[in-house]
Amino acid sequence: MKLPSLLRRTPFRLTLLFLALFAAAASAILAWVYFASAAEARVNAEREVRGEMQVLAGVYDARGFDALNKALIDRSLTQSAFVYLLLDEDGGTVTGSLNQSPIETMESDRQWITFPFTETDAEGRVRRPQVRAVQVRLSGGEMLLVGRSLGDTEAYLARLTQALWGAMGIVLLLGLAGGVLVSRNLEKSMGRLNKVVLAVQEGNLKARAPVRNSGDELDELGAGLNTMLDRLEASMASIRHAGDAIAHDLRSPLTRMRAKLEVSLIDAEAGKIDGVDALQLALDEADNLLKTFNTVLAIARLQAAAGRTPDPQRFDAAELAADMAELYEPASEDKGLEFSAEIERGLMVEANRPFLAQAIANVIDNAIKYTPTGGAVMLRARRRSSGEIEFSVTDTGPGVPEGDRERVIQRFVRLDNSRTEPGSGLGLSLVGAVLEAHGGRVQLDEGPGEYGGFGPGLRVALVLPPADAA
Amino acid sequence: MRILVVEDDAEAATAMVRGLTEAGHEPTHAVDGAFGLLEAQKGGYDVYVVDRMMPRLDGIGMVETLRKDGDQTPVLFLSAMGEVDDRVAGLKAGADDYLVKPYAFSELIARVEALSRRRETGSVATMLKVGDLEMNLIARTVHRGDQEIDLQPREFQLLEFLMRHAGQSVTRTMLLEKVWEYHFDPQTNVIDVHISRLRAKIDKGFDHAMLQTVRGAGYRLEA
Repeated sequence: MKLPSLLRRTPFRLTLLFLALFAAAASAILAWVYFASAAEARVNAEREVRGEMQVLAGVYDARGFDALNKALIDRSLTQSAFVYLLLDEDGGTVTGSLNQSPIETMESDRQWITFPFTETDAEGRVRRPQVRAVQVRLSGGEMLLVGRSLGDTEAYLARLTQALWGAMGIVLLLGLAGGVLVSRNLEKSMGRLNKVVLAVQEGNLKARAPVRNSGDELDELGAGLNTMLDRLEASMASIRHAGDAIAHDLRSPLTRMRAKLEVSLIDAEAGKIDGVDALQLALDEADNLLKTFNTVLAIARLQAAAGRTPDPQRFDAAELAADMAELYEPASEDKGLEFSAEIERGLMVEANRPFLAQAIANVIDNAIKYTPTGGAVMLRARRRSSGEIEFSVTDTGPGVPEGDRERVIQRFVRLDNSRTEPGSGLGLSLVGAVLEAHGGRVQLDEGPGEYGGFGPGLRVALVLPPADAA
Repeated sequence: MRILVVEDDAEAATAMVRGLTEAGHEPTHAVDGAFGLLEAQKGGYDVYVVDRMMPRLDGIGMVETLRKDGDQTPVLFLSAMGEVDDRVAGLKAGADDYLVKPYAFSELIARVEALSRRRETGSVATMLKVGDLEMNLIARTVHRGDQEIDLQPREFQLLEFLMRHAGQSVTRTMLLEKVWEYHFDPQTNVIDVHISRLRAKIDKGFDHAMLQTVRGAGYRLEA
């Protein structure tokens, strides 16, 4: 990775930012430590200078100028930390470690000053430590300067500063190295994810990101990407399945239509039927085909919704059940079936109204179709003790043997390729798809049992979760 | 009746224009929403038949613009999408009816004619009269000649719809949509049974059968 491209990487840029922040903070701390230590050193020096001055002033007051002069000479030899200077009334140097006062004119009787002092240490090295000093005009007009070197503190501060800069240098180096490393690592992990994305872009839906379950964000991202791809693949598979089923469902009616048209053509040519009849037959068959097509599309759409109700509405399902009963009662009685309905009041559901209506209608339709004349069909809508809303249609037809019910329910739920009978099976598949999309289910039970050549009958229950109280 | 057909599919448009002409109407074709809008603004149309998906200005945009301009001409929307939300979006934009492609031509004619009729009978009528059949909408009674006919509530609604569209073909789907207010496929012809019950009540014992079956389309109430 070249540096310019490295600079564009987020982790490296973050590292640089972090380092800059760190350097700023370190400088601030350094400055604070430096100024605090310097101030402390000055205060200490001033205290000691004040003490020394007090002692020396005491000598002058008690025993006079010469005694002070003598004391200074003595002390110069013993108190190496101090700097002394005694001046006469005219400002001439009497004695001391300095040639002349760093103060040119005294503005008051007592004046503080900091100045550089040149000294040579035991090994002959020249040093110029700062000196904090006070110069006092004595009562006889002579002047005395006492100062103390800040040398020790200065050396300490210099070492401290050096150490801190050094530390900062190491931190910067390590930080940069770390930044590069982290960037490269992240680059690798991201590269793996990018590779998956690219593979999917190129149409390989099977590509998956490696997941180490380390729990870091990139790992989670990879896992999320994989789940998303799984879901996508599943829904593509279901679309493909639906596509196959559509092809299957349309092939038989198309074949039938073609055969009928062919026969009609032969008949029309032979003058047995007239062309209009043949066209009418073809049109009817085309309409059936369209109906089948629409049902298959509706099932596919419901299955694609994957458990989420499309366009849900809150409404009273009791009214819907009553409407369905009213709609189908004449057709049922026309076939010589006794139709009855028992509908509880106030069955609020959150559902797709047209789809639910279609589902109930299909079940009633099926019951009417399979119940022989003289039998009965009954629609019930009620709230179960669990709160679920149940629509059941009971007939006195031949029913479904217990062993086959599971299979029939499967057929309810899935688009079943093994289906051969046109129309009716698809209607029930739609019922299953509607209930599944609503988070409900279809239950099959035996009807009222056998009597007088009828039965045992079938009871189909559509169970819907209740609408939330909200 | 002057009908503006706004449809970008040239073949579908040609078939529609021919069919409408043969049914005795005067159709004009516009190839997309923008041209449709220009044509509609010339005025003089009884019904607009508008395809929903078109280049440039789509059906929704066109109808919304027309309604904003205060044009209240009935609109029949055509769409390849039959989902509920789609239907709602179309009706919200200002369409009066909605037909999903592919449709039977008889269905289109029936709906177009029903739309134009709706505008004519916009005023609040209290009595409907078709031939010797009379319906009192206030008292909710029906007489044929001097004989009172006793109808169930739904039969009453069914007859009311047929009377409001007397002389026009109405399809089974239209009846399910407008009388029962459901949009779904009832599989068996449940509507036929309702019609035959109604027919038994209004036509039985009379020389002239008013409620007629229109082959390939639906039903028609004739005076």
